[in-house]
Amino acid sequence: MGLSIVFEERRTDLTHILLLPLLSVGAAFLVGSLLMIWSNVDPITGYFSFIRGSLGGYIQITDTLLRTTPFLLMGVGIAFSNRSGVLNVGAEGQYLFGAIATTATALYLQGIGMDAGITLIASMFAGALAGAFWAFIAGFMRAYFEINEIVVTVIMNWLAFKIMQWLLRGPLKNPLSEMWPMSPPISAKLPLMLPESRLHVGFLVAIFIAFMTYYLLFRTKLGFMIRVLGNNPHAAKYAGFPVKNLIVFSMMYSGALAGLAGGIEVLGVFHFLYEGIAVGLGYTSIITALIGRNHPIGVIGSSLIFGMIYNGSVYLQSATGLTYTYSKAVEGLIYLFFMLFTILVLYRVKLVVR
Amino acid sequence: MERKVIIEMRNIVKKFPGVVAVNHVNLKLYKGEVLAVLGENGAGKTTLMNVLYGLLQPNKGEIYIEGKKVIHRSPLDAIRNGIGMVHQHFTLVEDLTIAENIVLGLREVGFFVNLKKVAKEIEEFADKLGIKINPYAKVWQLSAGEKQKVEILKTLFRNPKVLILDEPTSVLTPQETRELFKAVIALKQRGLSIIFISHKLEEVLHIADRIMVLRHGEVTGELLRDEANPRLLARLMVGKDVFLDIKNPSTTPVSEVVLEVRNLEALGDRGNLALKDVNIRVRAGEILGIAGVSGNGQKELAETLYGIRRPTRGKIFFLNQDITNSNVLERIQLGISYIPAERLKYGTVGDLPLYENVVLTRIYDSKIIKDFPAIPNNLKPIDVRVIEELAKELITRYSVVTPSHKALVKNLSGGNIQRVIVGREIERNPKLLIAEEPTAGLDIAATEFVRRKLIELRNKKCSVILISSDLSEILSISDKIAVMYGGEIVGVFKPGELEIEDIGLMMAGYSKMNKERIEALWA
Repeated sequence: MGLSIVFEERRTDLTHILLLPLLSVGAAFLVGSLLMIWSNVDPITGYFSFIRGSLGGYIQITDTLLRTTPFLLMGVGIAFSNRSGVLNVGAEGQYLFGAIATTATALYLQGIGMDAGITLIASMFAGALAGAFWAFIAGFMRAYFEINEIVVTVIMNWLAFKIMQWLLRGPLKNPLSEMWPMSPPISAKLPLMLPESRLHVGFLVAIFIAFMTYYLLFRTKLGFMIRVLGNNPHAAKYAGFPVKNLIVFSMMYSGALAGLAGGIEVLGVFHFLYEGIAVGLGYTSIITALIGRNHPIGVIGSSLIFGMIYNGSVYLQSATGLTYTYSKAVEGLIYLFFMLFTILVLYRVKLVVR
Repeated sequence: MERKVIIEMRNIVKKFPGVVAVNHVNLKLYKGEVLAVLGENGAGKTTLMNVLYGLLQPNKGEIYIEGKKVIHRSPLDAIRNGIGMVHQHFTLVEDLTIAENIVLGLREVGFFVNLKKVAKEIEEFADKLGIKINPYAKVWQLSAGEKQKVEILKTLFRNPKVLILDEPTSVLTPQETRELFKAVIALKQRGLSIIFISHKLEEVLHIADRIMVLRHGEVTGELLRDEANPRLLARLMVGKDVFLDIKNPSTTPVSEVVLEVRNLEALGDRGNLALKDVNIRVRAGEILGIAGVSGNGQKELAETLYGIRRPTRGKIFFLNQDITNSNVLERIQLGISYIPAERLKYGTVGDLPLYENVVLTRIYDSKIIKDFPAIPNNLKPIDVRVIEELAKELITRYSVVTPSHKALVKNLSGGNIQRVIVGREIERNPKLLIAEEPTAGLDIAATEFVRRKLIELRNKKCSVILISSDLSEILSISDKIAVMYGGEIVGVFKPGELEIEDIGLMMAGYSKMNKERIEALWA
């Protein structure tokens, strides 16, 4: 006698697909409340402060959108490369490398007295380019030498972080800062979108790029080739697509968006470069892409969820003393539940005795 | 003399969706004999053996071992009942030594293994069988023939009563094949019963005591070695029924040469020489049938002509243009179409809707792209309305059964997927169509439909290369036929020129036309 688990595919429609992220977030918060009880925090108070922190008012909502911006850009980029079948785990490193390039470019241009508008555009461009370059290395090695891109991108993440540490103690060091390694301040700032808030135009750029990526993936010849490649690489070869170049390109596109995200954070939020910008946004964005089902419009929704969690957890900390590691745990739970529910929704799971 | 029956399979039926792979087959195996199971690819040989070995469950029928009824739910049950099977493809761990690989398969060995002791046992055991091996050699260092010896040793080490060898010579050199045969005879003399699966007549006649012939899942003959001769076996194997009688007006006035292949050589996936000095000439409005048991270089030929596989020697000319170094997209644009045998793997993208699959090999076509002058070509939008129209047209013209043109291709049946592929490749108006096993696994209606379409295309002056292991299909619609065996063209003829037995002999590697005659026939 043997026991086996059988997966039968079910017919699914759009409501199933839309329900998935909501269900997994709900379940994660439910288990999260157990974590709160365990830490002697009343879950109702906890979640109340969480909601108030992320959606409780004008400032809170605009701040949530501000937090959403990097998740959205990186999530869309990762979704794009996922569609071609390459897994970019290196958004974190590409983000850092983009932030470095943006800072260096902006500081150079302000040093020669360049106009602020040109400085902003040129340095964001430099950030995107740097991210694309950082991803190119992994894409090239994958396409031409069949070296696993996951391994390469993870290594490159560390490399980017170490390069940043060195730069902040060397060429990009702020001579006035004795204690903390940081760059000199950048005077050009991204224009704000709304009065009395920190929300800058970077958010609009991200939304625009999400729609542009949607168009690229689902409307153009290039996007068609990328989707074929991701779904069935054999068919892409059979159809005569330039498979290697497609792999390199999708990796570079993904990296460019991550690099741009790094640049936008520097120009719009921090206004200087320091080690504290590396808090793992690039890793969270992998989950963002997944929950958004690798669909640029879906990622708009999922990045909002992560923007909320990120922002809400700041309030949670001041109200209850739960640190931001709590929100990291909730992120992990969302991811786990999403995987579980994906299987339960897409398949009918049966236990069969033979 | 009453001999002892080791295995009896009664009335075995095994169905797969859409096919009856094994149809009411009876098999008896006596002690100390070599029973050969002969048949073309897809005749049901391996399926029958997988049923015996517990890898597949039969829909009907019983298995008796030494008179006792048994049910094999998994290979573990079969092994316990004394059956050992050596598969066509090796199942060894490359990075481990021979001794480690053999121990891996043993249940008696506990958690801690005295490898030295086992290695010595293995060496002695091999010695007794007249096989020389070094138990400490790593498997990746071994040649194909040596790996096979390890597979056999691994199986024999469990002391089975029955040994099944599934196409054991397909990866061996002639020298290694001779050594294998010596070992098989030695094993037989020690009282082991052996089932030898093959599609090669010569081998079967050499090694078997009894021969059972399968065709389309049914037993077409069961005879003793002495009753058998090559012609008889060939006929039993390939059959005589041309079940679709399509009128084929073979009007071949000498037209222009569309494809010319000279001295083509290419490697297979395992690095073996899969194509050897292949010469082919196809004219406009001609169907060239390539007959042969599959695995004799047909797939590699199709892929090399289409540009997926690089030739190691030789030249390919298409309409007098050297395309040897052109890539797939260039060949597609020149007018070469390919219907691959593995339709789900190569021909379609299951998770994309039907209408997008219809333009898979058509992205070069300016008709499906909206023209925006300022945008680079790859970033121009695809005209969804145009490709939806193309899809709807194809659905009606090729009678594709689908809920809509937006249905995902993976949800269509095999026959309908093939209609989509055939339609897509034909609607591109190619000058050369390579059709590889275009009707395999299809029902009669779809089969006939595809064959008619190929003839229509031929009548429109397109050249067709029809690669098929179904000889009756080749004979019924080809204008000229080439037979492939072991990566070579071993014969060229027109339908009706040769007896079916003679074709069968060539397919089984038993006879071969001489080079001059083949050259003359290409002209």
